[in-house]
Amino acid sequence: VLIRPASSQESVLQPPCGPAGLPPAASQTVPLPFPMSHGTTTLAFLFQGGVLAAADTRSSCSGLVACPASQKIRPIHSHLVGTTSGTSADCALWKRILSRELRLYQLRHGRRLSTSGAGGGASADLGGTSGGLQKASPSSSGPGLWYVCSDGTRLRGSLFSVGSGSPYAYSILDQGVRWGLTVEEATSVAREAVYRAAHRDAWSGNCVDVYHVTSKGWTRRKREDLKEEYYREKGRQGR
Amino acid sequence: MALFQVSGLKSYAELREQILPARQTHLFDRTNHYNFGTKTQEFAVPLGVDPSGFLGTCSRDGGVSIDLNHGTTTLAFKFRHGVIVAVDSRASAGRYLASNDVNKVIEINPYLLGTMSGSAADCQYWERLLAKECRLYRLRSNHRISVAAASKLLCNMMLGYRGMGLSMGSMICGWDKEGPGLYYVDDRGTRLSGRMFSTGCGSSYAYGVVDSGYREDMAVEEAYELGRRGIAHATHRDAYSGGAVNMYHMQQDGWIKVCKDDVSELIHRYRKGMF
Repeated sequence: VLIRPASSQESVLQPPCGPAGLPPAASQTVPLPFPMSHGTTTLAFLFQGGVLAAADTRSSCSGLVACPASQKIRPIHSHLVGTTSGTSADCALWKRILSRELRLYQLRHGRRLSTSGAGGGASADLGGTSGGLQKASPSSSGPGLWYVCSDGTRLRGSLFSVGSGSPYAYSILDQGVRWGLTVEEATSVAREAVYRAAHRDAWSGNCVDVYHVTSKGWTRRKREDLKEEYYREKGRQGR
Repeated sequence: MALFQVSGLKSYAELREQILPARQTHLFDRTNHYNFGTKTQEFAVPLGVDPSGFLGTCSRDGGVSIDLNHGTTTLAFKFRHGVIVAVDSRASAGRYLASNDVNKVIEINPYLLGTMSGSAADCQYWERLLAKECRLYRLRSNHRISVAAASKLLCNMMLGYRGMGLSMGSMICGWDKEGPGLYYVDDRGTRLSGRMFSTGCGSSYAYGVVDSGYREDMAVEEAYELGRRGIAHATHRDAYSGGAVNMYHMQQDGWIKVCKDDVSELIHRYRKGMF
């Protein structure tokens, strides 16, 4: 496995188990009906202008591109954005549950829950799903970025990339991300990282979404087809 | 012949049969230049032995744990002024770091290089065998072997033992009459010609960086920097790669060793100004 070029990395599927609180005897593992396959490239990083999150838009199911225009970055509320990777159904469900819980918190306590709190809530709920989430937002304490995983891992950091295309993106991000980037530079680094991952990873591709979160809320850049970028680069190289 | 019979001398063939067991007639130089060793194997594998199955049982929990040295990052790319080959220098055996100072580039001869990833033993043995074959070819046909032919030789050696547990992912780089040559050969018999390859568990990290900065008409210094960055960023993220970047440049009249830079220093230089 370690000598083939571009080895695929699929996140490990965990069989569904009951929500936390139910006794183990009541939550037996159920065999999966068919082999599920998922791959993606999502990334997010902090910089002086807030948080930038980017993702590709391909949903794959083994060898089939099930949807070339899916949304892997979903806003949770005006100042919180989550990226998804893993099984789309699981991510969509838990994202909605999280939004509901955060809204209830806001109504009860009169203020928004901080990112770390949201991360904590998400990891408690995510017991049975597969995949990773990143949540990005500026809270009262400044921009925050958390990586949350279905096995309960919850990590705070300043740069993450999740999914089968993440190694390709990581090296681009390591090269280009600095605290002092302008918004345009940061966007271009994020786009380049997703483009390179989409080029090499079979399960990532189609378009790229970029979200920028500041203290005033999130803004979304127009979705861009990576095919155009490929042909533009080909023209530049003169190949 | 009458004198021969009268004198009672035995013929050479008879004598030989008495000394050596039957059928073992090719004692020397079995891989000759007509069939390149495709008819007779280098090693005789006893019937009923399944090396790859045996290796599988060794890494099971509770059994004998033989962790093969696998982790590495190697990359090579062709450009206008030749071929750049860059490799890391870490050898890991499971969780143990066996060495941070391994040379993963095998200098086959002054105009051919081979990289090493997968099992170190397999790579070293088979590439030395390839070196022997290339030298014999040069002596017999009075011209240098082409990169395509050399990689084909290695590929056929691998195919002779396919499925028996060999582990080798190698890039054969050289410069012949056709120009710079780069082939990827692996233990399954895959042989691909290409502009750029990277192998090992850190290869995906290297791909991102090199794809991003590659241009066919790069200057030589730019190419060196690209190779350095590819390995440095891969070693930064991959636990099984590290040590130093060993870089070679294949030019028209042979290869030169460019540098051996420690990756920690490189990463500190590249990531200055990051949080």
